[in-house]
Amino acid sequence: MNAIEVNNVTKSYGAVRALDGVSFTVGKGEVFGLIGPDGAGKTSMYRIMCTLLLPESGTVTVDGFDAVRQMTDIRRRVGYMPGKFSLYEDLTVEENLRFFADLFGTTVEEGYDSVRAIYSQIERFKDRRAGALSGGMKQKLALSCALVHSPSVLFLDEPTTGVDPVSRKEFWDMLGTLKQRGITIVASTPYLDEVRRCERVAFLDQGKIRGIGAPEEILERFADIFNPPGIDHVQGGEVKDENVIEVEHLVKAFGSFHAVDDISFTVKRGEIFGFLGANGAGKTTAMHMLTGLNQPTSGTGRVVGYDIRTEHEQIKKHIGYMSQRFSLYEDLTVAENIRLFGGIYGMEEQEIARKTDELLERLQFADHKNTLVASLPLGWKQKLAFSVSIFHEPGVVFLDEPTGGVDPATRRQFWELIYDAASRGITVFVTTHYMDEAEYCDRISIMVDGKISAMGTPDELKKKFNQPDMDHVFTYLARQATRSSD
Amino acid sequence: MKQFISFVIKEAKHILRDKRTMLILFGMPLVLMLIFGFAITTDVKNVRTVVVTSSMDHLTRQAVDRLAASEYFTITQAVGTPREAERVIRGQKADMAVVFGPDFASKRAGVQFIVDGADPNMAQQWTNYATAVITNAEGGAVNTKMLYNPQLKSAYNFVPAIMGMLLMLVCAMMTSISIVREKEKGTMEVLLVSPVKPLMIIIAKAIPYLVLAVAILIIILLMARFVLGVPLVGSLFWIVAISVIYILLALSLGLLISNVARTQLVALLLSAMVLLVPIVMLSGMIFPVESMPQVLQWISAIVPPRYYIEAMRKLMIMGVGIKEVAREVLILVGMVAVLMTLALAKFNKRLE
Repeated sequence: MNAIEVNNVTKSYGAVRALDGVSFTVGKGEVFGLIGPDGAGKTSMYRIMCTLLLPESGTVTVDGFDAVRQMTDIRRRVGYMPGKFSLYEDLTVEENLRFFADLFGTTVEEGYDSVRAIYSQIERFKDRRAGALSGGMKQKLALSCALVHSPSVLFLDEPTTGVDPVSRKEFWDMLGTLKQRGITIVASTPYLDEVRRCERVAFLDQGKIRGIGAPEEILERFADIFNPPGIDHVQGGEVKDENVIEVEHLVKAFGSFHAVDDISFTVKRGEIFGFLGANGAGKTTAMHMLTGLNQPTSGTGRVVGYDIRTEHEQIKKHIGYMSQRFSLYEDLTVAENIRLFGGIYGMEEQEIARKTDELLERLQFADHKNTLVASLPLGWKQKLAFSVSIFHEPGVVFLDEPTGGVDPATRRQFWELIYDAASRGITVFVTTHYMDEAEYCDRISIMVDGKISAMGTPDELKKKFNQPDMDHVFTYLARQATRSSD
Repeated sequence: MKQFISFVIKEAKHILRDKRTMLILFGMPLVLMLIFGFAITTDVKNVRTVVVTSSMDHLTRQAVDRLAASEYFTITQAVGTPREAERVIRGQKADMAVVFGPDFASKRAGVQFIVDGADPNMAQQWTNYATAVITNAEGGAVNTKMLYNPQLKSAYNFVPAIMGMLLMLVCAMMTSISIVREKEKGTMEVLLVSPVKPLMIIIAKAIPYLVLAVAILIIILLMARFVLGVPLVGSLFWIVAISVIYILLALSLGLLISNVARTQLVALLLSAMVLLVPIVMLSGMIFPVESMPQVLQWISAIVPPRYYIEAMRKLMIMGVGIKEVAREVLILVGMVAVLMTLALAKFNKRLE
């Protein structure tokens, strides 16, 4: 008997058809990947399988129960991790787990065997509030909570977005142990290495299943989306011998805890500098000091020629910043967003208007000038947000995980924009969890435990640590971390 | 049952760990009681008065003295003509003028009041008081006796109104926000995809707020009795019992709001605007229902706090028995039944 049978399911929101005749089956104990770009209909599909949404037509059975009529039976059998982080941040780790155990009519002691592999890794933080955990640990806790009642089917909606490569590997190792216990797993992910760990995957795009099969087969068939040819990055020429960022012995301490522990580096004009590190290695803190949001405890630094201790107002005027969390105002149109940010940086009205047209022309986006940002696909939002962050021609732009949650083809387009900016002399300072993106950088540094443990070009690092690719270099270094990943 | 208790405990922790909200929840009753009890008062006291006399005979003198001697009026000036008095009032130097006609002594009539009518209610009260003080001189032709509130303290009137407002705000606003927060954070999805009955989620959410509301009720009652000196003459049992009915009503309203609202901000605005404005304006809290236009009176008939405030005034201040407030209580119970059914029936077992 199949664990899940989805038969010709259709679901619309108003005029938008989220799912259009979707059918697939998942065998008992199978690890099944549901992959596709943002907005493909994955979340709707999860919600229908979890009985949270009613399909308009078609049938869904989970463990032999009908998702429409036998809601209660299904809800007793499944574990579900929604895409958004779904724990109570003001409860402690242990309180969260106990609450979910009670919710499913079991106890932590009874369910401990099912969560031991995962929970034992975070158990030493059991008195810490969930909100204070790092991304990777939050995901482990959420998984523990979803597993405590030993469900027979587990639904994971992009469980590892924003989690560093090492934690992601551990997470999928745990899924492997669950499979051995006969638990059926349906998971979605934007990471190719995770796709490869599924037994079968279904590629969902614009509400339709484009193909189902073994991971390699699907990745091969849709290679233009999942495995776009690498970008030819002509290096040299643009990089001038002029330091845009200079940092010496920078330290940021919170009490006795040194979040950033004596880092020194320089970034040259026009360079693309990758700033890598596991969750909690101190990347964000370091970036806050460079952008003037936070005062260093000791050490000196200059960004575009201004002192980060005293001249942060000047720094803010001459840098661009884009983060995954905040990009553009969703309820403003494309043109309105550009005008707002141009205005914030004190640009002239006429110049803004001229450059707006120029920019939209170059992005081939002129038709959408007056479209609300909320209605754009995520990949487009990110490209726009990046273009807006360099709209005032800053000396350096800081990108904090700019490409979370989008497919490889869209990320590749994004990197073309980055190269374009770098060739115009804008220095790019970028953090990412995608190791293929790390390969795109001119130079990278890898932070471990608040210190920079390696720095150089991707090729230099691969040679130095004798590893085949950046993914292995990163894993090799990050595994040496002694301090907990938070 | 264990699920239920665990749920209530979790909800209580959310509330207790949010220190700022707790501070507001318990600070608000204290501050409101003190403001309404001491600062905002509609009591007549120290009204700056100008007297206008053309001839200072014995009777006029007596009347002026009585005005001056009463705690209600302070004579600030004496002038000769009404025109001058008006100028003093327009110059913000006085609130009202008492003009004694030249034949006041002989005819025992001919008194004119010139009053700053910027606040019509207060102006009306001043003239009433002034009339009483002056005519009482005639040998007590009219004798007023104020039942239930002999000193005409406004706290007597406001305490039930504050109870009606605060309990509604705390319960409706806090429950709706706490449910919508779970929707926003995505935890509601996980709760729904669990064997727990949706009905249980709702009831478990409401219980800590019920306890909180009762605590606030006790604070208000204690302050009313011991700080503001409002007598609690009616049966304490019925005061608390009716308040609990009213709290249930507010909780159901909060639930209804949480069904409609998608974000915490919307929930906050809905409960603040849609609930607060009618409560303050139409429940008889500040403006008497009887003097409203007919249409507003009809609308006020469906504003729940109206009946609660009415019942509390009767019970607390007048000290009547439960029979005299039976009508209000029945209406409240009916409203709770309707709203609660509606809220529970409308609660989404699935997402939209």
